[in-house]
Amino acid sequence: MSQKITIDPVTRVEGHGRVTIHLDKDGNIQESRLHIVEFRGFERFIQGHPYWEVPMLVQRLCGICPVSHHLAAAKAIDRLHGLNAEDLSPTADKLRRLLHYGQIFQSHALHFFYLASPDLLFGINAPVGKRNVAAVAMADPELAKQGITMRKFGQEIIKALAGKRIHGILAVPGGTYKTFDPEERDYFLNGKDIPSIDTMIEWSKATVDFIKSYHDQHADLVDNFAAYPSGHLGLVDKNGGLELYDGRLRAIDHLGNRTLDDVYDADYADYFAEGVEPWTYLKFPYLRHLGRDKGWNRVGPLARLNVADHITTPLAEQERKIFAEATKGKPNNRTMHYHWARLIEILHCAEMMRDLLHDDLILGDDILREGKRQPKGIGIIEAPRGTLIHHYEADEKGKVTKANLIVSTTHNNEAMNRAVQEVANKHLARKKEITEPMLNQVEIAIRAYDPCLSCATHAMGQMPLHVSIYDHNDTIVHEKIKS
Amino acid sequence: MKKSNHKKLILAIGNTGRQDDGLGWNFAELVETMPGLDMDLEYRYQLQIEDAELIRHYNEVLVVDAYKGDGKQAFLFEPCTPAISFAYSTHALEIPAVLALCKQLYGKTPITYSLAIVGENWDLGIGLSEKGQNNLKAAFVFFEKKPFTMPIPEPQ
Repeated sequence: MSQKITIDPVTRVEGHGRVTIHLDKDGNIQESRLHIVEFRGFERFIQGHPYWEVPMLVQRLCGICPVSHHLAAAKAIDRLHGLNAEDLSPTADKLRRLLHYGQIFQSHALHFFYLASPDLLFGINAPVGKRNVAAVAMADPELAKQGITMRKFGQEIIKALAGKRIHGILAVPGGTYKTFDPEERDYFLNGKDIPSIDTMIEWSKATVDFIKSYHDQHADLVDNFAAYPSGHLGLVDKNGGLELYDGRLRAIDHLGNRTLDDVYDADYADYFAEGVEPWTYLKFPYLRHLGRDKGWNRVGPLARLNVADHITTPLAEQERKIFAEATKGKPNNRTMHYHWARLIEILHCAEMMRDLLHDDLILGDDILREGKRQPKGIGIIEAPRGTLIHHYEADEKGKVTKANLIVSTTHNNEAMNRAVQEVANKHLARKKEITEPMLNQVEIAIRAYDPCLSCATHAMGQMPLHVSIYDHNDTIVHEKIKS
Repeated sequence: MKKSNHKKLILAIGNTGRQDDGLGWNFAELVETMPGLDMDLEYRYQLQIEDAELIRHYNEVLVVDAYKGDGKQAFLFEPCTPAISFAYSTHALEIPAVLALCKQLYGKTPITYSLAIVGENWDLGIGLSEKGQNNLKAAFVFFEKKPFTMPIPEPQ
């Protein structure tokens, strides 16, 4: 008799998803899927609005990563305005980058400390009631306080630049709305009201040390859990270094061969296509020349560290080298290493924020440039969860006629489905009893990607996430539902 | 005006882009017009874990949000106490959980109330329903009469 497993909602991720696993009569995995079934509507909703409103409107896609959407849209709108990223003033460019690093810093802190750390600290088999940030707070108050303060620091950067922590405004077509003043800057440097940027670097370094130590103690889990070969995609700078705000698109296959060779970001549509399936609203992006089966890529921290030749800040580069040694310089296809890579990026962002905060150009008043209107604008950034593509077209009156968004979680759709398949095959197949910790393993594999499902579907509404196991008669035999 | 040492905070939860879900923010905007205001206001789409760090700096906290009530009451006002109750996502966090974290991490438990204003329309759109507007007025009148220690505007 076959079974079908449903996990619904998948917990400690941002958004609502559902996992179904079909077992045959012998308990082997017949099929496993991550379904994203929320309504997708934002791309249509934007049409008809004046293009200059877009960076504000698209922030409403998500309360978790509005800054990323704001900046990707702003870069696209710059191009509609006739300006490439390098045409903006140095002050505007640096202010936007500071905002971006603040966003990634706070988002990575949120994921690691609030969502992922319970699994790492208490283990997969810990009681479900213990796997939350409150239990982390009880077990390790200092770690919890550091996590909260690091998240707050990033949010305060956002608030100082954009006026508020969520859905503020910094970027406008051709530049920024405001600049920084010395008092605002000192707030982050002097350590009087909040811990300083130097403390953030120190704490970021400590979190990298934590994950390295965790890796040493749990190498089998960290190296082998939900590991499988894949392509990797991310932006790099002109020297092949890690680039989070503006760069060229690079992809490699699981062996390290280049599959996308530093192509101009605005040409993305020449290289990418999106597949669809009837059981999910989430599309499946892939490289056209490789086809759907071979052309899919992971994105996000793990992919970025795989495609980049180096990191431009010294402490993060030192850690990247150690990270690369773990796979002897070969591409890293270990899903749980996302956490390690994410923490190296936290360190990089802290270093970048320090450098920018000490740069007097952020206090300048040359913040706006004018260009010549173009019919199409494409903006690509590396959001916390991976490569984020915003593409808009506007008519002669400036009204948006087309919008296409490929968000990070969408790029990771195939990868997350493979992760579910991998875990199901290794940990659920042919088991007499399916336990809650077994189902949690499916969630852990998804959680490593830090998926933001509300962004991915451009959804409107509440989004809890759920795993079901069905037998071969399509009867649910196990279910995990939280609301 | 001399600032009181008794620090007060209003945490307004909501989203004015979803009709009556904006009741919390609309309430805070009304409070901002009060003369001699001696409290801080923060606007949120939802409570966040780091709000545990924020509220530790205050003696009293009022959390104002919209509420899908049964229509019999204009609003609900009640004290809150710490309780560990964590949901599936950071998108859903309750006041007792934030208070529990504040107590656990910082050893502080500010006096905390919730003011839940009843709304009826929740679609995408700007502006409150008529019922939402009436309930907002009722909640604000209640607040102005200071039946709890929260608003103590000092004479100008």
